[in-house]
Amino acid sequence: MFADSARAPANGPILPTRLPVTITLLWLIALAASTIPWLDQLAPGELVAAFWSYNQEYYPSVLAHYSWAPRVSIAILIGCGLGLAGAVTQQILGNPLASPSTLGVEAGGQFGVTMATLFVPGLLAFSPDLAAVAGGLLAIGLVIALTWRLGFSPVTVILAGLVITFFLGAMNMAFLLLKGEWLGNLFIWGAGSLVQNNWEPFLQLLPRVLILAIAMLMLMRPLALLQLGQASASALGAKVALVRGGALLLVVLMSSVVVSRVGVVAFVGLAAPVLAKLLGARSLGERLFWSTITGGGLLLLADTLAHWATTLGNGSIVPTGTTTALIGGPVILMALQGIRNTHHMPGADSSPAGFLPTRKPTLLIAGILTALLVLTIAVSMAWSPGLSSWHWTPVSNWGDAWVWRGPRLLAAILAGMALGMAGTLIQRMTGNPMGSPELLGISGGAALVMVVLVLTGVDIGRGGQLIAATAGAAAALGLLILLARRHRFAGNQLLLGGLALYVFMDAGLRLVMASGGTVASRLLNWMYGSTWLVSEQEAIGLMALVLTLGALLLLVLRPLTLLPLGDAAASSLGLPVARARLLLLLLASVLTAAATVVIGPLSFVGLIAPHLARVLGQQTVGRQLLVAALAGGLLLAIADYLARVVVFPNQLPSGLLAALVGGVYFLWGLSRHGRH
Amino acid sequence: MPAFFEVAQLAVRLGETAVLHNVSLAFREGEVTALLGHNGSGKSTLLKILARQIAPTQGVTLLNGHPFKATGSRAFARTVGYLPQHPPATDGLTVRELVALGRYPWRGPLGRYTAEDQGLIDRAIQDTGLTRFADRAVDTLSGGERQRAWIAMLLAQQTRCLLLDEPISALDVKHQVETLRLVHGLAAERELTVIAVLHDVDLAARFCDRLVALKAGQVVADGAPAVIMDSGVLESIYGVAMGVMERAPGQWVSYVH
Repeated sequence: MFADSARAPANGPILPTRLPVTITLLWLIALAASTIPWLDQLAPGELVAAFWSYNQEYYPSVLAHYSWAPRVSIAILIGCGLGLAGAVTQQILGNPLASPSTLGVEAGGQFGVTMATLFVPGLLAFSPDLAAVAGGLLAIGLVIALTWRLGFSPVTVILAGLVITFFLGAMNMAFLLLKGEWLGNLFIWGAGSLVQNNWEPFLQLLPRVLILAIAMLMLMRPLALLQLGQASASALGAKVALVRGGALLLVVLMSSVVVSRVGVVAFVGLAAPVLAKLLGARSLGERLFWSTITGGGLLLLADTLAHWATTLGNGSIVPTGTTTALIGGPVILMALQGIRNTHHMPGADSSPAGFLPTRKPTLLIAGILTALLVLTIAVSMAWSPGLSSWHWTPVSNWGDAWVWRGPRLLAAILAGMALGMAGTLIQRMTGNPMGSPELLGISGGAALVMVVLVLTGVDIGRGGQLIAATAGAAAALGLLILLARRHRFAGNQLLLGGLALYVFMDAGLRLVMASGGTVASRLLNWMYGSTWLVSEQEAIGLMALVLTLGALLLLVLRPLTLLPLGDAAASSLGLPVARARLLLLLLASVLTAAATVVIGPLSFVGLIAPHLARVLGQQTVGRQLLVAALAGGLLLAIADYLARVVVFPNQLPSGLLAALVGGVYFLWGLSRHGRH
Repeated sequence: MPAFFEVAQLAVRLGETAVLHNVSLAFREGEVTALLGHNGSGKSTLLKILARQIAPTQGVTLLNGHPFKATGSRAFARTVGYLPQHPPATDGLTVRELVALGRYPWRGPLGRYTAEDQGLIDRAIQDTGLTRFADRAVDTLSGGERQRAWIAMLLAQQTRCLLLDEPISALDVKHQVETLRLVHGLAAERELTVIAVLHDVDLAARFCDRLVALKAGQVVADGAPAVIMDSGVLESIYGVAMGVMERAPGQWVSYVH
């Protein structure tokens, strides 16, 4: 369709040969890896024939026909579908990092299926697509609602997608912890598994994927116009909103249909188009075509790797979702190197609008927050449910109650303060109201170490875990610094590096989830922030650390005010930009690590507290830091209290509660305060 | 015959601030008009309303005597072309591919590109002097060439009207003059209606048939260059004491006291 219009002249730009060569190589390796284990049982000809027939007399032949062949077919089909969907998504949003995974669509689909499993299991039997599509639409709707007022700048959209992914993941987890007995089998499914035992799923998927792919191709020419920006595209007569909406709907349908069948196969939709583009696919037609092909090859390779790992790992299942995430991470890092100049990211000029609510006196706000905090502490110490009824603990008995309620409460408050400050630092440094330690991957680094510890089965005690997690956070930070140094610690590159780290963490998580058992639940408890594990010494140590860092922050207030003015302005005012950024990053990461070991990597406090401070009228850096710290502390104090009493005598992880409450606030607050 | 564009009692408010207030103007077909005014006077907003990029808070907008709403989006795009102030990076598109996108209003999402389309694309590239660069990526061109590539896309669009938002602001003097001369020549040759937001009064007077000046969202001056290029009128537009010399017929030099 578009090819005839381009009518490339002889001297026009030609496709670099490295593109077809690399992709062919990818396919050959994937096919070889997939077939080699079978070749000692079946002749090559018989193996090919397994796609349509089998020999009843010979068991390997039956196995190949009903297990291997459909698995290969479905991997290729899904990979192609997701690759195409990813390329279309990138074109819709003009965003080199957009994909069904990063926009939260896959998490949404998973959420939909979980809900349906719990509340309307009949619906799943009727059509698994419906629940997944509804969930996917919910996720993308939330992302769009979040970013509508902020402009669709690439990084903002991705961050909103991550927030939604975390949020829906937390919802999923909450149901899992409350009604675990129902969802056991969703563990493996949720982690993405392509294991097949007949041809039916493939035959069901095939027509759906084909129809959606054709519909996407029909939209190709209007999609090409989107490259010119909203103004020019609509001046050329394209109904931009309609094209975007229609194409996004197709993407959601494609991803949801896949998710409902095989679970979350993360990052194929991101990796395939990025790879195709890096290798030199240039025009829209080329990108769509090569992304599709690359997606198929990538997923086949990832699935084969998962299959091999499962075989080698003595039957403990390694879901395909893990291997795709492991491939996705490096590809994002490659993309990070490829996107040298943010000016080439279309839409980057539409920077997110700041929030400017009217200023309010700091003393008043800080006073109110402190009063609320004291009140929460009092209630938390005194008013609690007993075995028979709720009762007040008199102040004279607080000494005894302290052992049980004190350390965890103190730790929660301090973690909240640390996250509030770290979040403010990061939002200021990146100039993005959606930046936060959770999204920067610093928490993710700590979590990754914990995952590895759990997987290897090493027991180093609580203290050892603390040190290891801090090391993980520092390593994540070090990696970020290495990656970002070339860009002089520019905000966007940092966030993208964080995204890559998050992907690795995700891979580990999926692996643990699929293995299930006590290991999984212990790790999940920590991930979602169970403050009940904190001892008194740890709480006091944390206090000393947070107070020291807070004092240090007072020294860097002015550089922090200058940095958002841009590198040029800041350095011409005499600020050593790179060194200042490094120092601030260090501060932010130590604060984050301290908080992460207590509350887990997934609370939204680092995101919400600074935002709350702005909404409460604190615009200058120092005031925002102070109020954000108080707000963060208050938020986690309340979360900790609620976690203790809501399902008494059981406990919920307070990080999970904070994430749920915070997520809801965030969705509501951002859409409300973005409006003018 | 109705005017090509006609707006009456136009008002635009963003929150509390009135960006445009009671603007009534008519633009004849084939006329080259410059919109003048200092920053924030509402000229870009007026242009965006004409391009149907934003809708006015109140007022009447007519194209060839028909209300804007009566025209479909592709039909509108076949009549009116708009070049935004900051065209985005085009991410690897070649000049020829960019210009080819100008045929979208005529062919739609699925229609085939005919030989006629290819001819028009070639001619647009030729007319803007970009033949040498046809297969270069737009992003690798210099500012002036990039601007011409976008104008070529507008030409391939075969509209009867061009709306240009500060088309020469980012260019050096040589490219400013070249771009305006190109637009001027094309307008004469193809009888195009052109409305451009310009900052340079002297260049505007040199290349346009009519100058319209806005101040604080209202029309403060409207007329041929000979009428506007007067120290009193310019002073009322920009609020600084100014003088004007006529060096030769049709060539004015304005200066600040």
